[in-house]
Amino acid sequence: MTSIDLEDVNLFFRVRQHRRIALKDFIVNQMFRKSVNPYMEVRALSSINLTIRQGDRLGIVGHNGAGKSTLLKLLAGVYPPTAGTRTVNGVVSSLFDLQLGFELEASGWENIAYRGYLQGETPWTIKTKLEEIAEFSELGEFLNNPVRHYSSGMLVRLAFSVASAIDPEILLVDEVLSTVDLAFQKKCRLRMEEMIAKANLIVMVSHDLELLSQFCNRAIWLDRGRIRRAGPTADVIAEYTAAMSGALPKAA
Amino acid sequence: MAAIWKCRYFWLSLVQMDLRSRYRRSLLGLGWSLLHPIAMTTVLCLVFPHFFAKADLDVHSYAPMVLVGLSFWSFVSSSMLLGCQCLFQGERYIRQFPAPMAIYPLRIVLGSSFHFAMALLVVVVLRFGMIGFSGLFSFISLLPTFILMFILGWSLAVLAGFVTTYFPDMQHLTEVGLQIVFYATPIIYPADTIKGNLGWLIGCNPLTPYIALLRSPLLYGEFPSLTHYLAALASTTIIAGAATFTLVRLQKTIIFQL
Repeated sequence: MTSIDLEDVNLFFRVRQHRRIALKDFIVNQMFRKSVNPYMEVRALSSINLTIRQGDRLGIVGHNGAGKSTLLKLLAGVYPPTAGTRTVNGVVSSLFDLQLGFELEASGWENIAYRGYLQGETPWTIKTKLEEIAEFSELGEFLNNPVRHYSSGMLVRLAFSVASAIDPEILLVDEVLSTVDLAFQKKCRLRMEEMIAKANLIVMVSHDLELLSQFCNRAIWLDRGRIRRAGPTADVIAEYTAAMSGALPKAA
Repeated sequence: MAAIWKCRYFWLSLVQMDLRSRYRRSLLGLGWSLLHPIAMTTVLCLVFPHFFAKADLDVHSYAPMVLVGLSFWSFVSSSMLLGCQCLFQGERYIRQFPAPMAIYPLRIVLGSSFHFAMALLVVVVLRFGMIGFSGLFSFISLLPTFILMFILGWSLAVLAGFVTTYFPDMQHLTEVGLQIVFYATPIIYPADTIKGNLGWLIGCNPLTPYIALLRSPLLYGEFPSLTHYLAALASTTIIAGAATFTLVRLQKTIIFQL
């Protein structure tokens, strides 16, 4: 049974005003004077309660900086919750920060393998999928080149192709398709529909409200790290849009 | 540990890539990484014996001795220095996949181990040329030594990686520190040369027993003494303990420092 449970989850970032401090400064500051570079606490997520069950497809909407991507990373296990509990049953595969996560010196082929291994593939299982992944990415000859020379759209193509080649139990998707061209976006949507049909559970972040209402049966609206509204996608999106249009100055 | 094993294909292929990209860039390939210790040994052989008054320290016995020392040293120093950057290097994966943090230092130490193995091969060839195949049986004693060394290198890389993530100047401090330790370790001189005031320093050095553990079987065909094993085991256990503690305490939250 695939499921995600968040119980009263809080996440604080402790960031320094300036960059990291050097060890010598640290020692000097601790001994002689108060820190001139204090920690600031940023509340990224507060009191999040969320239960996602098998078959759910959850959309997340909200402003920039509302904590959408942070929530997704917390679900993926990249960020640990500062307080509260996170329980995940099922294998998570994630589509975010797609331009990262490549070995720049290695070729496209090699990077397919690396990412595949991280998603739990073995050299034997990846071999059978290699062709399919390459074909889906449409990168052709470029796969022989080091990833360093790829454009960001090409990187997303490659990453999406690898990530979507496995049959995920839990799929986390963050606004990934905005950098690729329309033709590929269409292809990705089709692939995602397939995956959604197969995957047990999906959480998706997007500013494309149309996309969300197409794919998701539930939605939450995050506002400054809190869940402002949760419910069926249509309701949440309607309320969100209403609030947005109210906030915008009317054109004269 | 189970989690590390689970993603073994990932870090193994990264190590493979590290090695390949390193050799791809140079015409000499594998020989290039061996050139450094060998060149260093040659220079030392030309210069250093003049400083020692001991009659028995001729070039023939000095060269392999230094080469063993230098190979070990470059294993330790590269584990630490490259280890400093290991988490930054792995940041792109850390931000996406919740894999255990220990695999990033592991990637470093596996690379260093490979280079160490290559250098050791040269030593072994040199040894066969000089003292022949006598005492080959004592090579068995190297097995526990290698295991301990590997744990030592891994632990050092873990510590270096985590500390550098918090304090970026650690890399420079490590470089300075290593320079000091280099002279406090019997690498370019025999362990028993320096006596008196400085002798205790070398005695306390956690790396000193390793040098003995490597030299006895490799150069003299003798089993190393149990004392050296125990000393190496003790110091490695302490360092590994510190590394494990660091991992357990910080591996979840280190991402906030990256």
